[in-house]
Amino acid sequence: MDDLMKDRMDQLLDHIMKKCLWQFHSRSWDRKVQNEGVLSKATQLLCGEPVDTSTPLAKCHWVDALCLVNDYKRRFAWVSQLKPDEIKEIMQALHERLDHLTITGSLNLELNDQHY
Amino acid sequence: MPYHEFKCSTCIPERKNHAVIKGPGEDLTMALPAGYLSTIPGTISERGCAYCGAKHVIGSPMKDVIHLSHGPVGCTYDTWQTKRYISDNDNFQLKYTFASDMKEKHVVFGAEKLLKSNIIEAFKAFPNIKRMTIYQTCASALIGDDLNAIAQEVMDEMPEVDIFVCNSPGFAGPSQSGGHHKINIAWINQKVGTIEPKITGDYVINYVGEYNIQGDQEVMCDFFKRMGIQVLSTFTGNGSYDDLRAMHKAQLNVLECARSAEYICNELRVRYGIPRLDIDGFGFEPLANSLRKVGLFFGIEDRAEAIIAEETARWKPELDWYKERLKGKKVCLWPGGSKLWHWAHVIHDEMGLDVVSVYTKFGHQGDMEKGISRCEEGALAIDDPNELEGLEAMEMLKPDIILTGKRPGEVAKKIRVPYLNAHAYHNGPWKGWEGWVRFARDIYNAIYSPIHKLTLLDIAADEIATDTTFETQVMLSDAALSEETRNAADLRQFTGQFDGLKSLRGKTYPEFEAKTAGAA
Ligand code: SF4
Repeated sequence: MDDLMKDRMDQLLDHIMKKCLWQFHSRSWDRKVQNEGVLSKATQLLCGEPVDTSTPLAKCHWVDALCLVNDYKRRFAWVSQLKPDEIKEIMQALHERLDHLTITGSLNLELNDQHY
Repeated sequence: MPYHEFKCSTCIPERKNHAVIKGPGEDLTMALPAGYLSTIPGTISERGCAYCGAKHVIGSPMKDVIHLSHGPVGCTYDTWQTKRYISDNDNFQLKYTFASDMKEKHVVFGAEKLLKSNIIEAFKAFPNIKRMTIYQTCASALIGDDLNAIAQEVMDEMPEVDIFVCNSPGFAGPSQSGGHHKINIAWINQKVGTIEPKITGDYVINYVGEYNIQGDQEVMCDFFKRMGIQVLSTFTGNGSYDDLRAMHKAQLNVLECARSAEYICNELRVRYGIPRLDIDGFGFEPLANSLRKVGLFFGIEDRAEAIIAEETARWKPELDWYKERLKGKKVCLWPGGSKLWHWAHVIHDEMGLDVVSVYTKFGHQGDMEKGISRCEEGALAIDDPNELEGLEAMEMLKPDIILTGKRPGEVAKKIRVPYLNAHAYHNGPWKGWEGWVRFARDIYNAIYSPIHKLTLLDIAADEIATDTTFETQVMLSDAALSEETRNAADLRQFTGQFDGLKSLRGKTYPEFEAKTAGAA
């Protein structure tokens, strides 16, 4: 990933960390489901691909993804210029970085508590 | 992000793990304050106990209920009327408090008989109230009184009543947060699913983690009702006991304070498949996004958009009037738990305030993750601070205002730092568009009150000018503004009603055509 893409990925990440709550569920397995659910749907929306909303959980993820994508398009003009393979690349890197910040690299000792 | 050691706490080395400064380019994986741990002996915490967290924060806002503490009267007194969770039934739950009033002899001989007679006496004194919550305290827990058995005995003898028991004595957690947890789990285990509700619409939600502080819940429910959404229950502000027994029948849990109520949402998701949507009810943009999301979930986003457009147009000129005057003011955002992340970014974005510190009394590390992500670089994040650390932080950061509870708030006043009550509010409600302007007005009034300048004068020592007259807030706040901003025709001060709730109670709502045959 070149510096420009990295810089853009940081902007997308910063937006999530500042404005969203869905990535901060209290347990690691929930965070995994949330990050995967919202970001995969956001990628599909950005690429104009169909999105599954058939279950209540999928619908919740779609709702968060749609608001995220709309914010991205409003805030970052370059988002609408990206080609589908660039979108997939940047969103994949974003997903990995978000998983690192909120799950694998997180210092939150409660994440692996087995009970709610 | 370096951990921060307070000079006053060098004798308590463990405290160093509880404070962090958010440095440039640093992220959450580099440092995170410890949290939700027992307070270190020797540091004087400002926390509440687990009984207090269960009763005071979560149980007592339920409105049609006798809330009875089984223990010494002191525990009860401290959980009575110190928070402004009002209700639309004449504030029954605030006006009356009930305790079994345990004494030494009960500790020796047991207090179950006493409890039973108290329960019956309370129901007789309030014959219209048929629901009760009972709270364990340290004393009754230590002697092993069986609250569940007594409650069951009474329910067998009085079939018209229903009783919920919360076993969360003061020592059952490091802070009030332990009590939030226990009552969440106890409620879903004991009560959810024991009643079948009347579903009156196509779109049904539980509104969770909302305590109706000065009417917040009523403001938010107004938006939901304007969208044609049935709020099946509110957990728990202005909430009804029987509505909360029917939480299992909602299609969506809209979660506001994840700190105090995510447990029940998680369990509702696992046991009943109801998804959880986390929202922010504070601030124009976060609130707009929250209503938009709920609207999208049900396919009625146009109804949300209509409300967003109307409310934003009505209130934006007023919010911006305050923003012009609050820009660059430094704030210590020191609430109990969730408001540190509900407010950290949006008071900066929408009011122009700079958050120089966030702290939480009882938050967990997850709250710090959210709060630190949302505040600006350079902010000092502190978990469970003691009074001396609070003072040292204020001396170091020189805030223009702190948003906190009344214990640290009174300390701040002594060093001439204005404070607003982040728990009970000053002139709330602070949710909703109007509420957010009310909050901005309260901040403005606190920062620019002429009293602060006067209190800095020592009439015994200082030269007192006799050639100047009084000063007003506007004189103080507008002195540094440009002529253009000062006279901007499109900005104005708050013009809302003194009591906006009056018009909400008894309001009629638009009828939307039912989507399904079953819905009325
Ligand atoms: S810590 Fe125990 S004794 Fe003190 S108020 Fe809480 S329940 Fe009562």
